[in-house]
Amino acid sequence: MTPIVVAEDLRKTFTLTRKQQRIERTREARRVAVNGLSFCAYRGEIYGLLGPNGAGKTTTLRILSTLIRPDAGDAYLLGHSVVKEAAKVRDCIGFLTGELKLEAFFTPDYLFEFFGAMHGLGKEEIRARKRDLFPRFGIDKFAQVKVGDLSTGMKQKVSLAISIVHDPEIIIFDEPTNGLDVLTTKVIVDFLAELKRMGKSILLSTHIFSLVEKLCDRVGVIIDGRMIAEDTLSALTAESSLEDKFFALYRQEKGDVI
Amino acid sequence: MKLAALMRKEFYRFFHDPRLIIAVLIPGVIIFLVYTVLGSILSSDKDETYAYRVFLSGDSVAVSLIGAAVEESGNTVEWVTATDAESAKSAVENGEATAFLAFSDGFDTAAGEVELYYTSGETESFSFGSIASALLREYGMRYRFQSVDLADESQLQSQFMGAFLPMLIVCFTFTASMGITVESVAGEKERGTIATILATSVKRSHVALGKIIPLACISLLGAASGFFGIVFSMPRLMGLSIAVFDFGIRNYILLFFLTVSIVPFIVACIALVSTYAKTVKEATAYVSIIMIFFIVLSVVAGIATGIGEWVVAVPVLNATVVMSLLLGGALPVWQTLVSVGCNLVYTALLVFLIAKMFQSERIMFR
Ligand SMILES: Nc1ncnc2c1ncn2[C@@H]1O[C@H](COP(=O)(O)OP(=O)(O)OP(=O)(O)O)[C@@H](O)[C@H]1O
Ligand SMILES: [Mg+2]
Repeated sequence: MTPIVVAEDLRKTFTLTRKQQRIERTREARRVAVNGLSFCAYRGEIYGLLGPNGAGKTTTLRILSTLIRPDAGDAYLLGHSVVKEAAKVRDCIGFLTGELKLEAFFTPDYLFEFFGAMHGLGKEEIRARKRDLFPRFGIDKFAQVKVGDLSTGMKQKVSLAISIVHDPEIIIFDEPTNGLDVLTTKVIVDFLAELKRMGKSILLSTHIFSLVEKLCDRVGVIIDGRMIAEDTLSALTAESSLEDKFFALYRQEKGDVI
Repeated sequence: MKLAALMRKEFYRFFHDPRLIIAVLIPGVIIFLVYTVLGSILSSDKDETYAYRVFLSGDSVAVSLIGAAVEESGNTVEWVTATDAESAKSAVENGEATAFLAFSDGFDTAAGEVELYYTSGETESFSFGSIASALLREYGMRYRFQSVDLADESQLQSQFMGAFLPMLIVCFTFTASMGITVESVAGEKERGTIATILATSVKRSHVALGKIIPLACISLLGAASGFFGIVFSMPRLMGLSIAVFDFGIRNYILLFFLTVSIVPFIVACIALVSTYAKTVKEATAYVSIIMIFFIVLSVVAGIATGIGEWVVAVPVLNATVVMSLLLGGALPVWQTLVSVGCNLVYTALLVFLIAKMFQSERIMFR
């Protein structure tokens, strides 16, 4: 088992603006989103960060994909530090969120080539990747249709294909199935399974138990920015279902609030 | 490579969307139509013919050439021999005569001098001035030609271009770039698509430049459309020929550089607030404030006189003041160069700032 993502004591605190304070009805000026988080994901595995709303999952994944910097601690992806070698990290990861983030005006074909170029790939490489990925996702028939005109499922497939245009070793996926219907969810679950078969390592965040049970090899439970439990899925679910285990952990952590 | 791809994408977005092209080019077309219609309503008596009364001192074959040109334009001219130059000039100034043409002795044989006095405040004097100066300039190799506008400062027509053109150029640049820049920067931020780009290994400064350069080029198109809209409708509106504003080619080149230098600055300004803003709506509100600010400044610059030389260091304002000078017929070379330089430096600073903002999670992930 080779460690591929190693997070060491990550910390992130946000300063809340007046407006945020008002919306959340709080007086605190600072919000600790990630509070000394350490974990390790291994090559070829799917690692799931499981936690309730506001646990710090998105913040953690954004730190790992170098979109934001940790206040303290560091993380290493394929040995590259997210703090010191951000550009290197960006070239070996694909970062995805459940919400669609592609410009509606362009065609899948155009965007695929554009993002290929953003990762520094040559024309020929991009074309080869396209020949491989488009048929695999069934995008080839829709390659010249504007993203805005595609069905949600097809859009999701396109953004999946684009996120791995540069054949990244690690795929980071924030809330892969949040708010999607059953069909699109299936597309994504199949995609992740396919990536795993291709030998990729995957890090995803979710609050949906069934997704974790279906896909993940290893699970980290986050509550209030801290890692409460971390183990393989089989070890965590040895005695009870994942759901029961999670609520047991939650009560242990926060007292009898639920 | 990556910068090229970023820029190409921005251009592609624009040139493949007819709505955007129309939105950028429409101000010029509207200006042209409105001014032309306005012009033909206002000057329905435009076809009225003038009977020029022109004081003349000295003589030349050019006089008969001018006479022929005047007749060709459907007007008539009566030549009156001037007794002394001063009274002829004051007659032109107070409207008793159309113009005063003074040829030096033996003008046709020796390389002499010719002076034309007219007043741009009077349509009649102005139209004669334009006919005569066009002719004299055309043959102006052998002699020195000087045309003198006797209009006082408050007379609107001569001031029109100088006072309003710079303001209009600023206006057009804003209207042309506002929609596309806000949409391209704040829109991408609002929809989260820019985060997808920032998650790749492309340099932040390239993302900033990849937006500013194409957007500035496109805005320049819009500004040019507005500019030509005015220039082509001016004759209709004013009943004048733009040939009167026949500055040298050097004036036009300087004017061009000034315009070109404020466009990227304005685009960068809009991009900056669009990067800061959370939504398109918020960005539009900020941009409107900036736009009003700069338009008021440039109106003031067009009307006010005696602004100090320090103005060359103030972005946008420098260009409008120097444009006013240019359109007034002066050739402020160093002011132009310093202004253009300053605007470029400010633009570079803004691009740097925008790149920094792309790095700032506080701004990008609010
Ligand atoms: N840019 C920000 N400014 C201020 N506070 C923030 C910011 N981003 C996140 N937070 C706060 O940090 C905490 C953790 O947020 P985060 O988005 O990481 O949680 P999450 O686990 O992804 O939750 P969700 O399930 O809602 O997506 C939350 O309380 C959130 O309000
Ligand atoms: Mg989240």
